[in-house]
Amino acid sequence: MNNLNSNLNTNLFKKLKRFLLSKSKYNFLNFICFVISISLTFNFLTWIFKSNWKVVTSNLNLYAFGSFPINEQWRPLFWFFILLSITLITIYGPKWNWLRKNLLFGWIGTVPLGIYLLNGGFGLDTVMTRNWGGLTLTILITSCSILFSLPIGILLALCRRSSIFLIQKLSSFYIDVMRAVPLIAVLFFGQLLIPLFLPVGIEIDRVWRAIIAFTLFVSAYIAEDIRGGLQSIPKNQIEAAKSLGLNKFQINIFILIPQALRVALPAITNQLIGLFQNTSLMSILGLMELLGVSRSILANPEFIGQYIEVYIWLASVYWLFCTTMALVSKKLEQKMTINKGF
Amino acid sequence: MNLKNMINRLFFGIAAFGFLLTGCASNKQENISRLSLIQERDELICGVSGKIPGFSFIERDGNFKGLDVDICKAFAASIIGDSEKIQFRPLTAAERFLAIKTGDIDLLSRNTTFTLSRDSSGGNGLTFAPVVFHDGQGLMVKKESGIDSIQGLANKSICVGSGTTTEQNINDTFESLSLPYIPIKYQDLNQVVAGYLQGRCQAMTSDRSQLAAARSGFKNAKDHIILDDVLSKEPLAPASDGSEQKLADAMRWTVFALIAAEEQGITQSNIDDKVQLAKNNPQLKSLRRFLGIDGGLGEKIGLRNDFVVKVIKATGNYGEIYDRNLGKNSDVPIPRGLNEIYSKGGLHISPPFN
Repeated sequence: MNNLNSNLNTNLFKKLKRFLLSKSKYNFLNFICFVISISLTFNFLTWIFKSNWKVVTSNLNLYAFGSFPINEQWRPLFWFFILLSITLITIYGPKWNWLRKNLLFGWIGTVPLGIYLLNGGFGLDTVMTRNWGGLTLTILITSCSILFSLPIGILLALCRRSSIFLIQKLSSFYIDVMRAVPLIAVLFFGQLLIPLFLPVGIEIDRVWRAIIAFTLFVSAYIAEDIRGGLQSIPKNQIEAAKSLGLNKFQINIFILIPQALRVALPAITNQLIGLFQNTSLMSILGLMELLGVSRSILANPEFIGQYIEVYIWLASVYWLFCTTMALVSKKLEQKMTINKGF
Repeated sequence: MNLKNMINRLFFGIAAFGFLLTGCASNKQENISRLSLIQERDELICGVSGKIPGFSFIERDGNFKGLDVDICKAFAASIIGDSEKIQFRPLTAAERFLAIKTGDIDLLSRNTTFTLSRDSSGGNGLTFAPVVFHDGQGLMVKKESGIDSIQGLANKSICVGSGTTTEQNINDTFESLSLPYIPIKYQDLNQVVAGYLQGRCQAMTSDRSQLAAARSGFKNAKDHIILDDVLSKEPLAPASDGSEQKLADAMRWTVFALIAAEEQGITQSNIDDKVQLAKNNPQLKSLRRFLGIDGGLGEKIGLRNDFVVKVIKATGNYGEIYDRNLGKNSDVPIPRGLNEIYSKGGLHISPPFN
């Protein structure tokens, strides 16, 4: 270990020396940049140690659960625990075959479990959606939207490749319109205009309206990702399947979609990460998700003016989750791949 | 040709379906008044800001607190009979009126200035309840800048929240004085404060109450002064949809009940004694009417007869609400000034409960 360290040090030292003494004309410029970045980092670190993090530490409950009833907060906590354990299993878990096959279903299963834990019923007290908030709500909106938009996206992608003219044009129209409209407009539509069209008395809950709006939007993008996956599959596979006597439905379900999903997985992860960050737009529309609840905490007279602390805290939370998602999808990708050499 | 036909038919179908839906919506709206809808739902949906210190913000335990929030609770107590049956909906300044128009919220208690164009059916089509807070727009500057009047702000940059009357007022004032200035616009008050503190502008403008509230949270509150110039009057009032007369009446008299209770010295702690007193003494006519023992005033506006008792039990009178949220011992102390009741030199007065 020591050896390694000293090796590393001498290497670093050598590099630094070479870096500083090289006779390139950019030498001086390099040095300036080096000094500036070091001093900026130093300032930032001292600021972090000096500033008062009470606005974060004393409100951790709010950031995590919003105004979820305190006696019931074990429910979202339990959900977090499940999510964390399945994440760890995905990243570090053993490479058993049955695990590899069922991991995806496990992930899908966490979403209804989360809804059940948050909403209650069947033995748990019902908690109204207006009390959902914080990180819980952010994760719930993200996971529900992605779960609903996946099948819709697959369907749209298949429709777009359909040979029936009207179906193909309709799904192209939908996808193109959704991709041409900014997300915030779709969200505004979901939050403010859907109730206008619904008769009085019928109300869709606003959390579900947000999920519907996100689903409508994201499914168009996912459809395009999956279409890319579908197009990457060579035509002779379809011909081979036909010659085996499979019908169209069977070809889609058993041959095209599994392969297309595998190809599209990185792109879908991209959408997922984008979606996770886009949920923060809901704070403009008055949902108390992670950003929304933080802005309300900032209005507490006790914490006025501590924006930088709160926003740095938020940035690190978002970073942590997005990085985790990227890692998980990488592992899922590896575990889903069967016989890479094939 | 065939295809065009098909698509045409399809669009016609979608349009017809849309019309059908909107038709359903408008037909039913005429039958159910918003007031009975709230009572049927057994829950009041109240639009608040959620981001204004002293008026509405979220506490550590996750509950909303503030003057606007207490006014909501008073409405819930009078309309439903339980001040806890409220759903608070945080709204930004830009979307608050649309939220009322679409029926997404029942009423708005969100630092909204009472103006003609908002009240009129040609404008936002709202109806305002009586003013719950008299405010005026002011300017805050750093003491060290040496600026002591509005004239000193010529060619200086001023942070302002967009989409509010604040933005319009500052523009009107500076234009009428022919002073040039640079507006720097932000979405909400907390961002304005942040911009001001980071030195992006020499002054910030907002309602004087909000300036005071913001200043109370500054590290060196004494280094900032609020100029004496008052740019506008800002009577802040709860609002509801202009076509819902019954709800507007209920809101109006709930606010008046809060003020009348303070006029008569009825508080949260002595309300039970007052009710007993009124029950035992038939000669106290006006008190009996006010507390709903005689006269059946509550039923006339679609509420319970004892709605005043419910309201005072839930939130206390106007003075108590004010002291709890903005009084001397609160986190955001703002002198009462114009917000005293009329007998103490303020502007709050209640018409008689007859």
